[in-house]
Amino acid sequence: MSELQPLSQPQQTAEPLLNVQEMQFWLDKAVAWGQADSPDTQKDTCLHLNRLRDFLQQLLAHISNMSSTAETMKKLPLLGQFLGRLCWNPYVTAGDTSRNLLLQCLWGLYSEHPSNAVERKANQWIRKVLCQLATEEDDGVAQALMKHMGVPAKEYHLNVLTKMVALLQENVGKSCCSLSNINQRCSCDNILATSDACVPLITCPEASPLIGALLQQPVTCVKEALSEDFLDALSSAYSSRNLSLEEQALVSLWHHSLPSLEEAVLSLLESVTNTTSTPQMLHQQVAQSLLPKACAQHCSLFLVTNDIFRSVLKQAEGNESVKSLVQTFTRCFLWELALLQPQTSVSLKAFFPQSPPSLLVPLLTLPSEMPQESWRNHLNWLSGSLQRLTEEEEEGNGDSRSTRGHYKVFETWFLLVQCAHWVQAAVQLLVTSPEDCGPLLRLLTFYHHPTNRWHHRALQLVGAREAWEHLRSVFSVSARPPIDRLQSLVTLPSSPAPLLTLSLLVNFAVFCQQPLSVSTEILQTVVHHSGLVDEAACVLSSLELRLSEGSCLSNDRVHLRIKELQKTLTHMH
Amino acid sequence: MEAVLKNLSSTVELLAVAAYSGTVEQWEKYNVSRAFDWARYCEHIYSRYHSNPAIRRVMEQQLELTNQSLQDVIPGYTEVSFSDLPRLQHLLLVGLLNNPEVPISLLKMLFDTRGPVDNMKSEYQDVTGLCSHIIQCKAACKVLSPLTELSAAGAEVQGRMLMERLGALLSRGSDTRPAEHFLGCVLQECEGAGRQFCLVITAALLTTKNSAAQTAPREFLLDWLQNKHSVLQSLPATLLIDLAKEHKKFRDAYCDVLKKWASDMEYIISEGEWVQTSTNPTVSFQKLTERFMALFEACPSLRAKTEKELKALKISDGDFDVKGLSVWGDLLSALNM
Repeated sequence: MSELQPLSQPQQTAEPLLNVQEMQFWLDKAVAWGQADSPDTQKDTCLHLNRLRDFLQQLLAHISNMSSTAETMKKLPLLGQFLGRLCWNPYVTAGDTSRNLLLQCLWGLYSEHPSNAVERKANQWIRKVLCQLATEEDDGVAQALMKHMGVPAKEYHLNVLTKMVALLQENVGKSCCSLSNINQRCSCDNILATSDACVPLITCPEASPLIGALLQQPVTCVKEALSEDFLDALSSAYSSRNLSLEEQALVSLWHHSLPSLEEAVLSLLESVTNTTSTPQMLHQQVAQSLLPKACAQHCSLFLVTNDIFRSVLKQAEGNESVKSLVQTFTRCFLWELALLQPQTSVSLKAFFPQSPPSLLVPLLTLPSEMPQESWRNHLNWLSGSLQRLTEEEEEGNGDSRSTRGHYKVFETWFLLVQCAHWVQAAVQLLVTSPEDCGPLLRLLTFYHHPTNRWHHRALQLVGAREAWEHLRSVFSVSARPPIDRLQSLVTLPSSPAPLLTLSLLVNFAVFCQQPLSVSTEILQTVVHHSGLVDEAACVLSSLELRLSEGSCLSNDRVHLRIKELQKTLTHMH
Repeated sequence: MEAVLKNLSSTVELLAVAAYSGTVEQWEKYNVSRAFDWARYCEHIYSRYHSNPAIRRVMEQQLELTNQSLQDVIPGYTEVSFSDLPRLQHLLLVGLLNNPEVPISLLKMLFDTRGPVDNMKSEYQDVTGLCSHIIQCKAACKVLSPLTELSAAGAEVQGRMLMERLGALLSRGSDTRPAEHFLGCVLQECEGAGRQFCLVITAALLTTKNSAAQTAPREFLLDWLQNKHSVLQSLPATLLIDLAKEHKKFRDAYCDVLKKWASDMEYIISEGEWVQTSTNPTVSFQKLTERFMALFEACPSLRAKTEKELKALKISDGDFDVKGLSVWGDLLSALNM
């Protein structure tokens, strides 16, 4: 029978390696922490909190695997003592996770139906410990006052805690390392100690004013004032949505801790790519994420965020939702920067260090900031510059400089993605004033196909021109075009740049001189057969957004047409 | 009023059930929530009516009746008095946690980590995580206290509460006995923690310094302190000077304390110094002189009067001008009088 046991109970042989030595180690720690209350002990406790949590997790798994408390106590006789000591350690009980794990371990030891003296005693002990933890006072004066003043314990402790937090917050605000007085003792040690002490209190809502104050402390000293553990703990609490910080505190957190910034950017990306949102919704999502505001305040944050965008785009350059996000993000960022600008005087170059300098201001200027008559010249110039830049790099790289060449092309393209309002302006121009469409088409093709793999760009340019000409002819006939003429458009998804063609289509539908009914029908037919309803709606919405924002007030006719087309598309769902 | 009394009585009975009875075995979360709600109701009743002597009396009578009937049925029953009412939720919690029949699932619920605080929608107060929160607050205080001045925050909160309570007691009427009784009880209970009590009094006096609303309790406290030399002598010197400046009566009382300290002193020939003979020497001769000087600086009017008194005392000691024979003489010369 004993030979069969290992086979029938594989759990016991494959147990987590909870050996007696580890138990002893942690018990010794717990004893040491309980005995002294010096700064060193406190520091030691804080340093070990993470590992302690892991150990408690292991313990919990171990306890759950046991069939009875008696068995657990037999295997780990020191367990009771250990858990008991931890209960009285405020660093363990202040933090949500560690307290929870500790309590779970205790529950694990409680037996619903105790079958022997050991289990009965364990039950009693557990109840007693819990009662003491929640109701006993070790401060005699506090006890006396509470009793005679009729103040319940909870209210009292809450008041004291709030008061302490306020006091500490004041201290943090006061202490500033003044470089002028070298003799003055650096108070950064206090800040460091406070931030260390706050590690177990990250998820305690009453402590959040203090945490906010710590984060927003101006960084004046050479030494790093906030402890690593503090920032790490904040970061992980934030990513598991356990943390609520005020705006400025959050910005400060990102500034202090890059991982938390990365987390924020990635989660924004995720939320954008998972759902199809209208341009307005996207704008709102981006603004609400607080990232543009943070980037406007700290150049370094903007640079890091853009690096993340770059790497995402490099992996999937055709990803339209990411491209829209980048464009919206840059718009929001520039808006926030303009709000701050009177106070700061950081040049644009600092925010866009890798972009071609000659293109920076021309691209960042919005079409709405320029009279519509100058668009063509501007776009022609842009197109020419882009072409020159790309050809330079691509041709001068038969040798090892190939990666460098592509680097410059990529940066140019990335800047264009950030300033895609000019791409949209180009589409509008192609539709409204069709002369000399060459440069505009080149610009569009570059936007949709930045990499010139196997020199396909020439081909793609041809395809774009064909699509544009076809659309022009379709929309210039004042009667309803026969179905066969629309056939080639119907195979939209497989054409060179479906989105290029789609945006041309939508713009034609809006701006052409044909009666609305004709335009509507053409749009409806093509979109229905190609299945790109959502994408078309998006293009329409962003067109509307762009037109209504800028001072280039298109006439009411255009807005009316847009509204009608939107209605049509909505009904197609 | 009848309904209120009935509710009061029922709640006390409910508390007794929670603390002593085996019926709690069948309780579920909503039973607990409802019990806390009723306890909170009684706390509210207390705050509304405690300053109304007539209603208070009626309630006390009701409580007496309820306590009596419960005592008959439950061995070891602890009475719930009127002054316990403001802490009824706490008493309920203590009762529940001490009752071995409370099902473990309820305990788990009380000690659960609370979720986002959004309990406006439920019918009853959400008691999930109640104990967890208390433990967290207490632990957080302990974690943060090494960073703050020793007990400063605690003392300040306690001081504020003390003054509030005094104010409430004094606003009831002209009878100052309850207030005296309160202070006396607290002092007695803090016997072992004398220093902490002084910190509380200090905080209480400091925080109400410029508060117009708190003049009555402040005056009362100062009056009370005059006779409590044991507390007075442990208060910080600067505070005492400030208080002496403010109040004539206090000024005289403080002066009396200083004189009493002087009279306790004996001259030790081997050290050439006057030293206090009491079991807890608080002050050296040097410090005593400093205190007198500080007092005279703050209250110049006191100087002449005290000089006369000290001179009289010196005369009663024999009026010698030799050092070491009369503390009063030495004091006078140290003070340049």
